[in-house]
Amino acid sequence: MAIKSMPRGQFGMERLEVMDKSGADAIHVNSLYLLENMGIKVVSDRARALLKEAGAEVDEKTKICKIPNYLIDEQMRKCKRPVKMAARDPEKDFVLDGRHCYACTDGVGLSTIDLETGERRPSTKKDVGESAKVVDYLPMMHMYNPIVTPLDVPEHAHTVHEFEESMINCSKHYTTGSTYKREEAIYELKMAAAIVGGEKELKRRPIISNLTCTTSPLVLGMTTDAAIEFSRAGCPPLLMAMPLIGATAPMTVAGATLLGNAQVIACATVLQLAAPGSPLCYSSEPMAMDVQTGLMEGLFPAANMVRAAHVQMARYYDIPIFIGGWGSCSKVPDVQSGYEKAFSAFIAYLSGADMTSGPGMLENWTVLSYEQLIIDHEMFTMMADMLKGVPVNDDTLAIATIEAVGQEGHFMGKKHTIDHAREMWQPMVTDGQPYKNWKAGGCKNAADHARDKAKEILKTHEVEPLADDIVKELAAIVKEAETKIPKK
Amino acid sequence: MAGEEEKQSIISELENSVKTLQEEAAIEAVQKAVAAGVDPVAAIEEGLAKGIREVGEKFARKEMFVVELIYAAEIMGGAIKVLEPELKKAASKRNVIAQVVIGTVAGDIHDIGKNLVKIMLEAGGFEVHDIGKDAANELFVDKSKEVGAGIVGASSLMTTTVGMQKEVVDALRAAGVAAPVMVGGAAVTEEWAKEIGATYSADAGTSVDTAKQLAGKGA
Repeated sequence: MAIKSMPRGQFGMERLEVMDKSGADAIHVNSLYLLENMGIKVVSDRARALLKEAGAEVDEKTKICKIPNYLIDEQMRKCKRPVKMAARDPEKDFVLDGRHCYACTDGVGLSTIDLETGERRPSTKKDVGESAKVVDYLPMMHMYNPIVTPLDVPEHAHTVHEFEESMINCSKHYTTGSTYKREEAIYELKMAAAIVGGEKELKRRPIISNLTCTTSPLVLGMTTDAAIEFSRAGCPPLLMAMPLIGATAPMTVAGATLLGNAQVIACATVLQLAAPGSPLCYSSEPMAMDVQTGLMEGLFPAANMVRAAHVQMARYYDIPIFIGGWGSCSKVPDVQSGYEKAFSAFIAYLSGADMTSGPGMLENWTVLSYEQLIIDHEMFTMMADMLKGVPVNDDTLAIATIEAVGQEGHFMGKKHTIDHAREMWQPMVTDGQPYKNWKAGGCKNAADHARDKAKEILKTHEVEPLADDIVKELAAIVKEAETKIPKK
Repeated sequence: MAGEEEKQSIISELENSVKTLQEEAAIEAVQKAVAAGVDPVAAIEEGLAKGIREVGEKFARKEMFVVELIYAAEIMGGAIKVLEPELKKAASKRNVIAQVVIGTVAGDIHDIGKNLVKIMLEAGGFEVHDIGKDAANELFVDKSKEVGAGIVGASSLMTTTVGMQKEVVDALRAAGVAAPVMVGGAAVTEEWAKEIGATYSADAGTSVDTAKQLAGKGA
């Protein structure tokens, strides 16, 4: 069941906990309190009907649903690990078992830093395909969410175009980050079923998952309708809380964590009522408001702490979590994007996040940079190397080798060294050369190396092709979807 | 009726309470103003609005935070509520640079930016008619006609709704409303504004200058 060909991150140490046990209890208990006493506005008619039938107090006029504690507890017990994320290429399936971690791209960017000109331009379907191809190549990128929204396809049907282009160019698990309408979900699921060979097979091997946004504060929007379709098809929705600290959520980390958590467990309750026992994941992509300017930014430490607290809550419920992270406000791949992204991603993984998304994006998840995608992948490989922790046993202690080398010797030619040398982290684009060689090579920094690498990948990497008849079928479904998905 | 000196001191209290973000002090001062028969227009113009303009200036200089500006607006709004019955009785009216109709376009529910612009414009001497979020094009048109809008502001955060700004401009023009349109929001660029025949306003801080230019009052 585990992956055969894809390397993955492995947790080898205690997970970081940013709240003590009573803190996590308090987030849970007060989430229940808010949902039962204040209630959550549920815009979707189907979701409201499910809640009403299960015993929630529903006001059809205000659409506010007061959900009893017992109902939430009962439904939360139905969502359990493991959750399987299958891929177009079955060798790239993986299982969220709580002991491994994975990386995904984030989506819905609007512009691309052109690989050739270095200039920003509106993003296209070709960018979706090319970034998918790069992800297909990068060994430690495990799933693909279209980094940009193509602006050269009919707007109302952009999600099916994204899925089509991604499936042609990437054989890994697919996550849709912008499926807001039920009809879009229906057509994406139809395409996914066509690829794996039917609905039943899709339930067994869900090659698509769906990021479904809840709205802060305390609203489940129409996206819930799309999520219900995914749940019923056995393809995991990732229930995303996106509290904007200081704006749509309290200014405090605990308050924003509480609000987001309440939204996620309310949404999980709806989906378990819709499809009992169906797989789902917790998800969180908080941002913070710059109190000075009012701009929403991904960079603030407070937002990263909400991420870590939400990872702790997902672990509290024992459900996998997908963290939207790697936030950076920087406009180009530079020092700032490096440190912002490293802190954001690493604290999520240290806390035990199963998956994070965000590699390849700049300026608050709005711009695709191929260079940054490759640099972020590099950072993840470094993080994964540290997350392994320190295994201590006779072999790793290497006592016999230390004795054999003696005082003032060296370890370079020893069998033990050779046995473990291949485990050592290796750079793809990080520049480790001495000054003289670096200067002779044109003074290239990591971004320059990454640009070269991206060009090389696009030129030489061959994606395991989709069968011709499936490509044709997908095109036909996209065509039909264009006429059936409502324009508004 | 209180003496001029006392009235002046109450007006200063109003200004200070907004400037220093003292919610209770503002309500106290405004109740004093009503009891002392302070001209409600003076209470607003020389007291509350003066206070918030100062907060706005400090915000522009990055000495105060946007959350403090919003709080100052809430304090001012609460005080104005107390003054409303007096305002209705008063003969004088506020000096208004122009009537502004502002809203977040249809399909978009993001209204934080729009609300900030509203506060800044109100503090800057405009009368702002807020038609809210997810506002239909007709609402922009009807409200503009109703109040004789000198400026219309349309906000959009999402790229999926930014096209609605063009529809707002087109709907206004089709209905014979000639008022200049200001557009803003995360998804909006200067080029887009030009393309649809509108004026770009990058953020709340610069919106007052932009609006003053559009109203022919030069910043």
